[in-house]
Amino acid sequence: MSYYFGRGNSRWIPYLLILPGMLLYFIVALGPSLATAVYSFTDATGITGGAVHWIGLENYREFLTMGMAARDNYAALLRTLKFCFFVSIIQFALGLFVAMLLNQRLKGTKFFRALFFMPVILGVTVISLIWMLFLYPLGGPVEKVVELFGSHLEFLGGQPNEAFACVIFIQIWANMGFTMVIFLAGLQTISDEVIEAARIDGASGWQVFRYVTWPLLTPSVNTNLVLNIIGSLQAWQLFLILIGYRNGTQVLGYVVYAQAFGQVSGSTTANSFRQGYGAAASIVLFVLVLVIGLTTDYFLRRREERLLA
Amino acid sequence: MNTTVESDLASAQPAAEKAPVTMRRIRLNWVHVGSYAVLLVLTVLYLGPLLMLLNTALKTLPQFMRDAAGLTATLHLQNFTDAWQKANFPKYMTNSLLYTILATLAYVITAVFVAFPLARRYVKAGNFLYTLFLIALFLPPALIPQFQLILRLGLYNKPLGYILLFLVNPIGIIILVSYIKTIPKELDEAAVIDGCGYFRFVIQILLPLIKPAIATVTVLHAIGIWNDYVLANIYLTSKALYPITRGLIVFQGIYGTNWPVIAAATLMLALPMMVLYLFLQRYVISGFTAGSVRG
Repeated sequence: MSYYFGRGNSRWIPYLLILPGMLLYFIVALGPSLATAVYSFTDATGITGGAVHWIGLENYREFLTMGMAARDNYAALLRTLKFCFFVSIIQFALGLFVAMLLNQRLKGTKFFRALFFMPVILGVTVISLIWMLFLYPLGGPVEKVVELFGSHLEFLGGQPNEAFACVIFIQIWANMGFTMVIFLAGLQTISDEVIEAARIDGASGWQVFRYVTWPLLTPSVNTNLVLNIIGSLQAWQLFLILIGYRNGTQVLGYVVYAQAFGQVSGSTTANSFRQGYGAAASIVLFVLVLVIGLTTDYFLRRREERLLA
Repeated sequence: MNTTVESDLASAQPAAEKAPVTMRRIRLNWVHVGSYAVLLVLTVLYLGPLLMLLNTALKTLPQFMRDAAGLTATLHLQNFTDAWQKANFPKYMTNSLLYTILATLAYVITAVFVAFPLARRYVKAGNFLYTLFLIALFLPPALIPQFQLILRLGLYNKPLGYILLFLVNPIGIIILVSYIKTIPKELDEAAVIDGCGYFRFVIQILLPLIKPAIATVTVLHAIGIWNDYVLANIYLTSKALYPITRGLIVFQGIYGTNWPVIAAATLMLALPMMVLYLFLQRYVISGFTAGSVRG
């Protein structure tokens, strides 16, 4: 590649100026990310200046095979898959549906689009507090509606399954706008003429969607599916603020955090600052994400090739 | 003869078209009605929680205890002053602003000098370095070794250590690189002929040209820092260093039942973001979705 700015010593100026950003990236992000695997073979703690020993596969053995803790871990793993399943499917379907609604010539589409996307910028703290209040079990608005049906719910403070379902709902509420925006961008690349042509050929609304819109949406379908699946497998921050460490609600991402950084709110199983063990849990989650992510990607690619053929 | 045929056609065509058009209009209207109904339900779900927040923030505590869902009868603005004082808001807000501004500024400046040579291949192995940013999204989380690093650097519970964590953002680099690629390379050539150096070119010529990308990256990065709760929870243990998010969750833990004051505090945290979002919506949405659009 040709380079125009000076010769000799001034040839090094780009290198000099790229250095701060590059070094920061290596030291703060890339290096630590790869080092997670290394730490998973040690007994590192969170104590300043504490000694770190190489303990081989001990962390993995404990995580996967030892007694009650391992049983809890498998339960957390299963729960992570459950969370991923419900969140990605519902968020995908709802995001697509809402995008289709907003892709019509309706009044106020800009307002709706802005409103549904807003939670994405609010962040976990505000989202959590808003929903703790909206799901207030002592006469809050949702509780009032539930009462109309002669029932009563504790929501986030209720049984583990009830609290877990609430987090699934809030996770979808918070991220549906993201899926919707990507689908909207995809829908806007489909020209009206193609749809019109299908209609003139006598296709029904469903047929237009099934045989024209849906295949043409393939790029956004793939992007959204992969992002939803990976994102929901790794999600845990809402659990931290909305319920805290409670048996029967943790997902794997939260187990990593709880083991590595301790957990203040009434825990039984989480020891504080077991960073090596937490790193092992983190790698287990990473492998899970990798396997599911790659499998999904493989099938999506095959589908895309079939559609193009 | 010719004219009559034409006029026949002219009069026949609109008539033939008219029937399906009116039929379709009726059907379309029903679709629209249904669409609006669904959108209304969703609007209740999205606006409701926010209105509940506002409603609660204007109530007195006894009023909230008596009827949590009911419409407020008062404009109890004292909640806001209470939250401001009791939640230590001025301190936390200053901290949040400081972290956000300093880290975003430092990040954007370093990022431009990373993105420009990568987009232009002005450094050796530029393609490889760029790939390192692309794969970042698929690597295991850096959380634990990062903590060990900060601990060993003696930066635990120090503002500098916390800010250091926010000087990195692969998606920002990807956005900048793809935008810089749209700026013609002839510009570099022309600038050199006029005797412009590398540094001056980036600052005086490139920067004004990539303003939209800079805005997108700045907004995206700043929102990420402003909203951070987890890292603040891990790295900042002194109350005096809390950003507003952590301050608010701690406050909620203490005043767990006093929802009117907590709601007022939450509103004060969310408001700057919402105003920013309202005015910079285009940049915000493109920033959040840029990393996900496949090239």
